[in-house]
Amino acid sequence: MEKILILNGSPRAPKSNSKLYAGLFSDYCPRPTDYAAITRNNHLELCAQMEKYTDVLLVFPLYADALPVGLLNFLKSLEKHPPRKKPVISVLINCGFLEAHQNDIAIRMLRLFCRNNGYETGSVLKLGSGEAILQTPFRYVAKRSIRKLAKAVASGRHQDFSATMPLTRKLFLWASTVYWTNYGKKFGITKQEMQRMDIESPDNR
Amino acid sequence: MVSENFIKKEFTMKLIMTDRPLPLTSAASGGEIRYVDLSSLKIANCVGCFGCWTKTPGRCVIRDDATRVYPLIAESDEVVYVSRLRYGGYDSVMKTMLERAIPVQQAFIRIHNGETHHVQRAVAPKKATIVVYGDYSDEEKDIFRQLVGRNAHNMNFTGYDILFTASDNADGAVEKIVSQWKKY
Repeated sequence: MEKILILNGSPRAPKSNSKLYAGLFSDYCPRPTDYAAITRNNHLELCAQMEKYTDVLLVFPLYADALPVGLLNFLKSLEKHPPRKKPVISVLINCGFLEAHQNDIAIRMLRLFCRNNGYETGSVLKLGSGEAILQTPFRYVAKRSIRKLAKAVASGRHQDFSATMPLTRKLFLWASTVYWTNYGKKFGITKQEMQRMDIESPDNR
Repeated sequence: MVSENFIKKEFTMKLIMTDRPLPLTSAASGGEIRYVDLSSLKIANCVGCFGCWTKTPGRCVIRDDATRVYPLIAESDEVVYVSRLRYGGYDSVMKTMLERAIPVQQAFIRIHNGETHHVQRAVAPKKATIVVYGDYSDEEKDIFRQLVGRNAHNMNFTGYDILFTASDNADGAVEKIVSQWKKY
């Protein structure tokens, strides 16, 4: 069975949610997988490695409404150093907002890259509420959609999927406030401190 | 909490932030017009640590040149961003800085224009002009328009223009905007 290469494009790859999502994909995938994080220094190695795979899954978070710059830089390297045999590229993207559609622009960018560079685009999963969902009772939503993605990629019957927490915006707002307040608490920072409005001065270095 | 001071604060700065040197440094620097050539600065990639939200709110833990730039972005009520277009988005130099500007937001979420977005700290509502250059297709232009529309929600733009130019014409486009600023 042909292996699938999972590339993690998160800037905090070792501690990232993307790594957890990649792990779930691997668990559910009927085909064997290999995993690598994209770093500043391994672009050429990964570009060369890609030709050994029929399928590559890019896993990454939305950053400033688009692709994270580390992934953007990798794509620029891939454009210059394409593998001799080009794999099908599938995507698992997550954003911290409730609306999975906030990932749409990043997906359009990737589809454009693939089309311009001769890669077939495979399946896509857009996850909303991706920062916290695995730590909530709604983790089943993420797991279920990743299972579907894994089956689609493995079978070659490609599909697009979208999933998020089944909450109203108001409830999500409340839940995310609790999540971030607890996050700050771990570092001894209160909610009030996290809500400060001032930003450091440009002369503050 | 110092929010009240910031609510009352008047924002009058104008910022030109570019991914390549522009031949208008002397004309535009100083006073209320600030000029930042990102290509001359040392700015590392955001590492996604959330330190600026949860450990040192409003302050990035990476102490490089970005810490002098995001306060200017926050304070400006008019901005001009100049960037090469890449795959329908900002190219690496500008994108790196925009990612490093998240200390101007809080971790907390608000409902804004019917969607969930981060709460802004003391960020001036701003008019943005984005000058993009390079070789691009109609599809790339369309993606970029969609991107800036979304940026508007997350970067406190009250209005924006996008100027698609050839590489050689970007300088002239910015020059025109600066001369308009100087008239008023």
